[in-house]
Parts: sequence; C-alpha cells; structure tokens
Amino acid sequence: MLAYNSQTLDNLEIKEAAEKALRKDCISAATYKAIETAHPVNFYTPNPIIKVGLFILTTIIVSFSLGLLTLMLLEAIKNESGFAGLCIFAGLACYGALELFIREKKLFRAGVDDALLWSALGLICSSAFITNHPSVETVLGLVFITTFVATLRFADMVVASVCYLAFLGLIFNIAVKLGPAAKIITPFLIMGISLAVYIAAKKIAAYHFSRHYHHCLTAISVLSLLTLYLAGNYFVVRELSDAMFDLQLKEGESIPGALFFWIYTVVIPVVYLYLGIRHKNAVLLRTGMILLAAIVFTIRYYHSVMPLETAMTLGGLVLTVAAWALIRYLKEPKHGFTYEESEDPSLADKLRLESLIIAQTYTPGAQPAGNDMQYGGGSGGGGGASGDY
Amino acid sequence: MNQKIFEKLHAENLVNDTELAAVKTAKAQELFSLHWEIKTLLYLGVLLLSGGLGILIYKNIDTIGHQVILLIIGVICAGCFSYCIRKKAPFSWAKVSSPNAFFDYALLLGCLTFITFIGYLQFQYTAFGTAYGLATFIPLAVLTLSAYYFDHLGVLSMAVTNLAAWLGIAVTPFQVLSANDFGSERIIYTGIFLGAFLIALAFISTTKNLKKHFAFTYQNFGAHIIFIALIAAMCVFDVSWLIFGLGLAGVVYFILQQAFRDRSFYFVLISVLYGYIGFSIVVVRSLVAIDDIGALYLGLLYFIGSAIGVIVLLINLNKKIKHASI
Repeated sequence: MLAYNSQTLDNLEIKEAAEKALRKDCISAATYKAIETAHPVNFYTPNPIIKVGLFILTTIIVSFSLGLLTLMLLEAIKNESGFAGLCIFAGLACYGALELFIREKKLFRAGVDDALLWSALGLICSSAFITNHPSVETVLGLVFITTFVATLRFADMVVASVCYLAFLGLIFNIAVKLGPAAKIITPFLIMGISLAVYIAAKKIAAYHFSRHYHHCLTAISVLSLLTLYLAGNYFVVRELSDAMFDLQLKEGESIPGALFFWIYTVVIPVVYLYLGIRHKNAVLLRTGMILLAAIVFTIRYYHSVMPLETAMTLGGLVLTVAAWALIRYLKEPKHGFTYEESEDPSLADKLRLESLIIAQTYTPGAQPAGNDMQYGGGSGGGGGASGDY
Repeated sequence: MNQKIFEKLHAENLVNDTELAAVKTAKAQELFSLHWEIKTLLYLGVLLLSGGLGILIYKNIDTIGHQVILLIIGVICAGCFSYCIRKKAPFSWAKVSSPNAFFDYALLLGCLTFITFIGYLQFQYTAFGTAYGLATFIPLAVLTLSAYYFDHLGVLSMAVTNLAAWLGIAVTPFQVLSANDFGSERIIYTGIFLGAFLIALAFISTTKNLKKHFAFTYQNFGAHIIFIALIAAMCVFDVSWLIFGLGLAGVVYFILQQAFRDRSFYFVLISVLYGYIGFSIVVVRSLVAIDDIGALYLGLLYFIGSAIGVIVLLINLNKKIKHASI
C-alpha cells in the first residue's frame, strides 16, 4: 500500500527518537551510533529550506514541460477534450516519475516528490474541469477518490486534509438536494460525520498498522474538530441555509432552532479547551483557542454589544492580563504544564519569524524621501493613532 | 519520547539498563509546554489593546482634547520604557536574553506608542517644523537605540523598516513587491543602496562581534532588497541592463560565500534562486532578440533543462554543508 519501505520508516522513527534522547542526555553518543548502524535509514531528505527550493524548481519543470508538450502537439489537439487528454497524460507521467524517484532515488519528503505528487493530482483533477462542465458532485467525487488513493500510497498530511474536505463537501452537496428535510438534517449530518471521523481517527491511530499515517490522522482530527464546530455555528448555519435553500431571511430574522445553534456556538469551544487542558491534548487545546475567536466574531456579527473599539480595548486588556497571569502562575511548572519552551529549536525560531511578524504588523507608510507634502502619513501617522494596524 | 521504541532497543541490547531508566524518568517528567499558546495570547492582546486605544482616541478627539491624548500616550510610553530600564540586564555587545516574557512586549508597546507620540506631535503641532525628515528620523534613532540597548530583534526589524520608509521604500515582507514601483529608477537605486548598506551592517556586526545575532536580520532584509532591485534593473533598463546582471552575479557570489561560512541553507537557497532568475532574464532577453518561433521552443527547453540543473546544484550544495545551522 505505502510507496515507502515500511522497515525504513520504522528505522526513521527510531532514529528520531534516539536523536531526541541523545539531546536530553538520556543515552550516550556511542549508543546513538550503535542504534544508527543497527537501524539504517537510506531515505533522501534534504534540509527543509532546500526542500522549498526543490519544490519550486520541480513545479517550474512540470509547467514548462506541459507548455512544451502543448506547443508540440498544437496541431493534434483540436478541441478541449484533446487538451484534457494531454492533462491526464501529463498527470500520469508525473505520477510515474514520482514512483520511479521514490523507488530508485529513495526520495522521502524531499520537495521534488511533493511537487510531483501535487502536479499529478492537480493535472488529473483539472482535466475534469476542462471537458463538458461536470457537476460539483462529480468533481468532488474525483478529488476524493484520487486524494484517498494518494493518501494511502504516500501518507501526505495535506493530501489527507484535502481528501477529508472533499468527502465532506460531497456529503454536503448530496444532502442539500434531499428536499424539504435537508434544511433540518444537513447541519446534524455534517456534525455526526465530523464526530465519527474524529473518533475513528483516534481509534485508528491506536493500532500498530497505522503508525506511518500518524501525521495524516492528526491533520484529519484537527479538521474534523473544526468542521464539527462549524456545522453548528450560528453564523455558518444561518448564512449557508439562507444561500442554499433560498430562505430570503431579512436582517434580524432567525433560523428555526436558533437557540440550539447559539448554545452550540458558545459551548463547543469551551468544551474543546476543557478537554484539551484535561487530557493535555495540544490538538484540542489549539483548536479551542482558535474557535474562541469564532465565538466573538459570531456574536459581534449579529449583536453589537459594544462599539468595536471598546471591544478591542477590553479584549486586549483581558488577553494581556490573562497571559501575564498565566506566565506568573506557571513560573514553577504546575499540574504538568510549563511556560518553558520545549527544548527542540523550531524552524520558525531559526528564521526569526517572530521579528518578521512584528515588522509586518507594523507598517510605516513608505513616503518618498524629501517629499514636500504635509507630514501626516509617515511612520507614526501611517498606523493611525495606534501605530500598528 | 516513545518509550516502546526504547524498550524494543533494550531488547535488542542496543540500549543498556541505566539508559532505559533515564529515558523512562525523562518521559515521566515531561511537561506540557504552553509557551507558544501564551505568547500568541500576549501578542494578540498587545495588538488589540493598542489598536483599540488608537480608534478610541481618534473617535473622541473632540471631547478629550489633544493635550490629554498626548499625555495618555506619553504616560504609557514612559511607563513601558521605565519598566524595561528597571528590569533589563546590563548592556553588552553579546547577546543578552530578556529577563522575562513580558519585557519583550512592554518594550514593543513602548516603541509603538513612542512612534505614535512623535507622529501626533508633528501632525497636530508641527513640532519639528517643516523639517519632515526629522520627524521620521527621531523614531528611527530611538528604535535603533532601543534595539541595541535592550537587545530586541523585533524592534530591530521595525528600525530597518523605518529606515527603508525614511528612504522611500516599503520592505515589510508582504509589501516589498506590491507597494514599491520598481519601474522607477529612483526606487531601484535606493534599493541597491539600502541593500548594500544593510549587508555591510551584517558584515560589520559579525566580524567586529557587535551584536552578532543581529546579522541575520540585517542580511535577510538587505539581501532580498538588493536582489529584487537588481533584478528590476535588469528588466527595466534598456542599455545598461547587462551591467546590473554582472552586479547581481557579484552579490550572489558574496552572499553565497557568507552563507557557506555561516553554514546557512537559507541564504544559499535565496542567492541560488535569485541568481537563477537573473540568469534566466539574460537568456530570455537574448531569445527575444532572435524573434523566431524556434526561440520559443529553445526557451521552454532552457527552463526545463536549467531547472533540472539547479535542482542537481542544490542537492550537491546540500551535501556540501552537512551540519548546517539554518
């Protein structure tokens, strides 16, 4: 099923665990060397930065090859279906190259293979668009099937995410067409499927055979938690039903069962947070944090509780004080939580991402040097009276 | 850490008893880190707070009065800076780590409010007269001083952005291409000058050991801006474009040298990619001069072949720097 050698993937996991143990001084360097020789990893995985470069360059090769092919076959391709055929051919060629590189060159998450995988999927799926304008269900079905097969074969987490979303989209599109009952059941159907997928992902992750799909399952659990919430979020349900079933809701008008959806909107993120903290589950915790913002957005969209600036100031104050209090509270680790950074230096750290984000959110308006206009849009004024929009 | 793996390795006699025990204790003591979650909350809080206060002041300007507003901003700014001065570790040209997480954000808030303060003063009272450069130069000076004095990379990035704005270009990551008109000669020359200046600063901070860890930020902004300006020059100028191409080759060589010395994959990658773009411009401009359908085929073949070549090059460079830092 998997394109990669299962034994080597196991060895890779062992090597990574051993590296971590070495960094923590749990094992000696000699032991590490012994483990490395006993469990060799012959994959080719370049540095993550070089990987980005390889990805870009492979995409360039694929697109120019497609251009060259089109140009050479310009006479033979008479209509749209000719070009669709060419796309399928090019997609299959990408797939063939991908299989070849993985088998012969042992590429593993090397940028080249990722680019080939995405090109193959993109070309094959887009061929459906080019000919005879298919229905949404056909396209989603095609995307679902191709990404599902690709996920099983290459265990790529982004492909797995696309697969899940295509599946959900397919269900949604079919459910909406079910007639008058659709209005009521669609949100619950999506909620049910999301919950089922989340539980299934957790159950599958516990089995030994799924160990190489670990990242895919994490990605799917995050997405299923998000869709579980969004399916019952008041804003999403109201606006989507309005658009899908042509309810022509006026401003201030509500959907049936509004109270349930309002409670759902507010309670679920808190449940996620609670469960995340209780089980020390980073997925639940971070999803809950993001969804807290969704609560604020949903409420503010329908009810202007207070003017925006007051809400911003109060919210900012609460967040800052809460963060400050948490830092004080966790000065000494409590209940297994700590404020200390985990010791693995991340890529974001090395690229000084934080300072770049600060520079991005702070924008001094570029003004030509020596311009003779009244100063007012320069460094301070540019951000209004706040300096950092 | 995965305990099962080590139990298996223990069974294979690769890990001895004490090491297995050490792994087990480490696993038992492993803590759940909330570092990034709390930091995000804090940053969002600071952003919302300063943004909200900004609008609040703006909307109530008639009732509050300018002096009061200036006073409020001034008090916040002074409060932040005095907190930072009290808490800071003694100055050194080496890296000084911040005393606590709150310190970084207090400094950030202080710097932001200071810029607002100066801008407000100038806008409302024209305090710096018509020497408009001065009103941008003072924040620049204060930001630079704070970055060095308190050792803060975020403030340093703000200072670099401000320097660029003072010269008339935007260098924030998402605006460097959209907000600048690289068709204009003046912007191109400014970009080349600014880039060279920043790269020189990076060089000085590494060789003279003056806040060595600032070198990455300088080099990062400098390299991107000079590369983009040179490539723009190669596209825009009709006669002298090849000279700028030679200049680009020189800069690529210099940055590559530096990158090998620091073993930085990041700078290897960007100089190779920018160099590749420059070289491709030379090829495309010559092919356009041929003006024939055959040239189009040649061009497509060139891109396929050259991209393969660059991939092989990158893979070889990757092997050359085995144990890289970035």
